[in-house]
Amino acid sequence: MRPQYSIIFLTTMIGMAQGLLFSVSILNFRTDAISPDFLSSVIFPIAIILLIGGLVASFFHLGHPERAWRSAMMWRTSWLSREVIALPLVILLALIGLYFSLNDHTPQWLWISLMISCLILWICTAKIYQCIRFIQEWSHPTTLLNFFLLGLASGWLLLTALVNLFKQSIPSANNTFLIIVSLLMTFCAFNLKLWIWNRNRGLKPKSNLASATGIKGQNIRQTSMGLMGGSFNTREFFHHQTDRVIANIRKIILLCAYIVPMILLAFSIGSVLPKIYLCLAVIIQFIGLICERWLFFAEANHPQNLYYQRVS
Amino acid sequence: MSTNKQLALVIDLNVCVGCHACVTSCKEWNTSGSAGPLTDLNAYSANPSGTFFNRVQTYEAGIFPNTQTVHFPKSCLHCEDPPCVPVCPTGASYKRAEDGIVLVDYDKCIGCSYCSWACPYGARELDEERQVMTKCTLCVDRIYSETLPESERKPACVLACPTSARIFGDVHDPESDASMAIEERRGYQLMPEWETQPANHYLPRSIMETIEAAKKEL
Repeated sequence: MRPQYSIIFLTTMIGMAQGLLFSVSILNFRTDAISPDFLSSVIFPIAIILLIGGLVASFFHLGHPERAWRSAMMWRTSWLSREVIALPLVILLALIGLYFSLNDHTPQWLWISLMISCLILWICTAKIYQCIRFIQEWSHPTTLLNFFLLGLASGWLLLTALVNLFKQSIPSANNTFLIIVSLLMTFCAFNLKLWIWNRNRGLKPKSNLASATGIKGQNIRQTSMGLMGGSFNTREFFHHQTDRVIANIRKIILLCAYIVPMILLAFSIGSVLPKIYLCLAVIIQFIGLICERWLFFAEANHPQNLYYQRVS
Repeated sequence: MSTNKQLALVIDLNVCVGCHACVTSCKEWNTSGSAGPLTDLNAYSANPSGTFFNRVQTYEAGIFPNTQTVHFPKSCLHCEDPPCVPVCPTGASYKRAEDGIVLVDYDKCIGCSYCSWACPYGARELDEERQVMTKCTLCVDRIYSETLPESERKPACVLACPTSARIFGDVHDPESDASMAIEERRGYQLMPEWETQPANHYLPRSIMETIEAAKKEL
């Protein structure tokens, strides 16, 4: 598929915001572990900016953004429609959280609703891709698990960095605990990605020219796709990059999204200035996540490409 | 199979000569209609590109000297279980209950392209200028038209085909020409592995079967 930056920014930014809100909810839902001041001045504003940024990015993907309201209509059948409802819901809950934290106490029901709504949004976002049964790279539960783990890992890392940057202390979770959990989450996401890439390499396409055209006989090949100057079909369903670019992006993903942040996290334990390591880790990981999402689209093979192999 | 009507095309690969008359007549009819134009990009310069509902492709099969060139028209197959319809977030994509035609309401489409991702056949094309998803309508504005003579109430591609390679009819009615052609000449569906149950069928080349049978005899 052709990776589209609007969707790449949408999924990475809201994933990070969901991870941040989810992490804060885990730490806070029993007792007010994080100070309301920190929540109202840092955590909620950053989460809301990321969520709204993602929402704005998604509009650039539409041919008719002025009709975007219509996309909430088909929630009974369409995961995209469900995402369109779930995203504003998370934003609304974050705004309510901001209101409560300004008034010094955030009730337990809000943390629980935030956790549930973030989970629902992850499911909706991932299912948009996972439910397309003939894109075999996507049609697997690891699509959801990957969105969830990467969102959670990047959100928890952001929380860890912010806690250090603003010199906060959380009674139930000291700094080393936050960093080690962050390391573990990134490590899990890293292993999942390796597993997914390994699975993708071994995939046998279910469709081939024989099933796509039904032509009997051996050695079926296309001699003309019926057009010479390109069409929507030749533009939309392929990444238009060389194998070398793809291989390099794969290396960037491994380094930026996983390995370098893990090294920086390890170095930040016991360092004099952990906030520098942690902030650097957040920025580098976000670049890695954008590349990861780019490749997520690029490596999806659409069976319609069987019909568009040769110009003439 | 449900008892409802399901209009469809049956394409005879034995006689298609790859002349593209169905492509041009489709474009001519559908770009002139009330539903809006099928726009062209760079029509008179390098890399011309545009929206078409129907394409004719060419394939080769076999090993010399027993090779075949097969011209293969491809348009929306109007699946009985269309994967493109439930994914549409606005309800712009729908399948008509009365005749099984899969249509796009251009006034509701937001141009998100998600339906085109959910079609394994590449039957949908986003119109670059109008920014809405377009696809074959089976000439829904022709086949029920009361201003056209009865004999012309067929899709434009069917009327244009010089070799009568395109048969139009109700594939749920066992008495229709389309159903009889499928029945008698072993009409098949594309990519059956995805269980979309395309309504359009293709009639296989009988020469290929003759070759295969001859091979077995050897």
